[in-house]
Amino acid sequence: MMLVQIPDALLLRLAVEDLLFLEADLLDQWRLDEWLALYTPDAHYNVPPSDVDGDTADPDKALFYIADDHVRMRERVIRLNKVGAHSEHPRSKVRHLVSNVRVHREGDAIHARSSFIVWRSKDITSDAFVGHYLHRIIEADGGLKIASKTCVLDMEALRPHARISIIL
Amino acid sequence: MADFPRIIDDRAASRFLVPREAFTSEATFEREYAAIFDRCWLYLGHASELAEPGSFLTRKVARRPILFTRDKAGEYHALFNACPHRGALVCRERKGAARAFMCMYHGWTFGSDGHLMSLPGSSGYPDGFKTDPQKQMVHVPRMERFGDFFFISFAADGEDLATYLAEAGDYLRLVSEHSASGMQIVGGTQEYAIRGNWKLLAENSFDGYHAACNHSTYLEYLKNANGALGATPLSGIAHDLGNGHAMVEYTAPWGRPIAHWVPLWGEEGKAEIAAIHAALEARVGSERAERIAHRNRNMVIFPNLVMNDIMAVTVRTFYPTAPGYMEINAWALAPREESEWLRKYRLYNFTEFLGPGGFATPDDVEAIEKCQQGYASGGDGLVNDISKGMNREDGALFDDEEQMRCFWREWDRRLAAVEA
Repeated sequence: MMLVQIPDALLLRLAVEDLLFLEADLLDQWRLDEWLALYTPDAHYNVPPSDVDGDTADPDKALFYIADDHVRMRERVIRLNKVGAHSEHPRSKVRHLVSNVRVHREGDAIHARSSFIVWRSKDITSDAFVGHYLHRIIEADGGLKIASKTCVLDMEALRPHARISIIL
Repeated sequence: MADFPRIIDDRAASRFLVPREAFTSEATFEREYAAIFDRCWLYLGHASELAEPGSFLTRKVARRPILFTRDKAGEYHALFNACPHRGALVCRERKGAARAFMCMYHGWTFGSDGHLMSLPGSSGYPDGFKTDPQKQMVHVPRMERFGDFFFISFAADGEDLATYLAEAGDYLRLVSEHSASGMQIVGGTQEYAIRGNWKLLAENSFDGYHAACNHSTYLEYLKNANGALGATPLSGIAHDLGNGHAMVEYTAPWGRPIAHWVPLWGEEGKAEIAAIHAALEARVGSERAERIAHRNRNMVIFPNLVMNDIMAVTVRTFYPTAPGYMEINAWALAPREESEWLRKYRLYNFTEFLGPGGFATPDDVEAIEKCQQGYASGGDGLVNDISKGMNREDGALFDDEEQMRCFWREWDRRLAAVEA
């Protein structure tokens, strides 16, 4: 019997998928401190608005919904862990679905492009955020770390959603 | 029985009450369109959004699709975005540049000023058809500009814009004075919705009373990020600007790109902020510069233009599509000449507090939506209390509710003035 040779590219994709699924799982379980630990200390987390090209827009030049550096990612987690973050206390139910993962290497970085639907449900409402993720991932400490994540909404506006009070 | 829920404004007893039915009644909602949105001056856009002749944008204003254009001579036009032939939307793009607009249904083509340039099969129409006034795109009855801010009114008659703005005009000027070369709308629009009545957002936009409770986590974040300098107290007063417009003006613990430095921005920026402050003083004098640099202003221009000159400058409008639902658009306004470094921190500041992903707005949204849900507890005679500060003899404070009373008195006056 001959074993099928798994190409390196496929192995890389599996490793990245494993990281993205872990990220989704931690966010769904509100394990936010562990989520933050998936990121490098100089990481960024961005959500551009719908009327710019989200794949290329620069948060230093255009108004985004979210444009966090690592300091603010940390502060976002600290805030969401407090009872005073009224929008998420009581916490909403969250479910991240990640699929269609495509991966390529560019120098030291791994670029992953994937599709997402994130459901947020709380009392009377249930909203779906639809879009694609752009992850930049690096190899560090013998594993993979996320250096940046951009959540491009494939939506015309954030309606009827009133807020991105969860982490996409 | 009154045919809409009237406010109770009893100055002698320091009582100010708004019936909750004002937020839930379908009849009141339609009356608001007739009495307010079809009568008042409404914000359309900023001159910087149509920087070049030939540019255009589409926008919904008070439920109506509007095409805002600049023709090749540089003139601005506000057109109803509907074809005079069968009524289809003529322009289906958000923004861009175009010499002409062709309706995709039958190919009628219009100039930037709305005139009918050509139509296929013109032999099937009598002479003079093309120039018939009824075959042209319709201009919004009135459009005026105040500085670089464009407003429209769906009423053919009424006071001019400057009269309407009353003292709010001076604060639009004050915002323009942030820049020596003119302000511009930064690219990127926050477009969201809230499942609550639009008047709740008008109130919330200049509510100085709710910050300590509703935004405790944001204030803690500022302290955490800025240390001792993040301790500037929230303190100030309310101004009645006339015609339902009002404002609160106050000091606060956050940084201001014009021109109040905070440690979060790093030492490298300290000198740049100091230079901007000095240039501002030289340009507008020390008293006005002090106000521009160190005071924050939350202003509501009746009925629904929010101009918040706070940790960044936000321009925000919102329109109800039902008593319990509104659509919101928000933009960032910034000096044209701003450096890349400062623009970065202005936007950093903006997203820190403001908008659907900020550290504060989501909790405002929660409050507004929970109010709307609470109103379902129902029962005639339930009222909201908006009386805080009415008992003061030496003027209302920023965390009183006088600014909201200014809004409500105008709301009540206008609703009373129309036939149901």
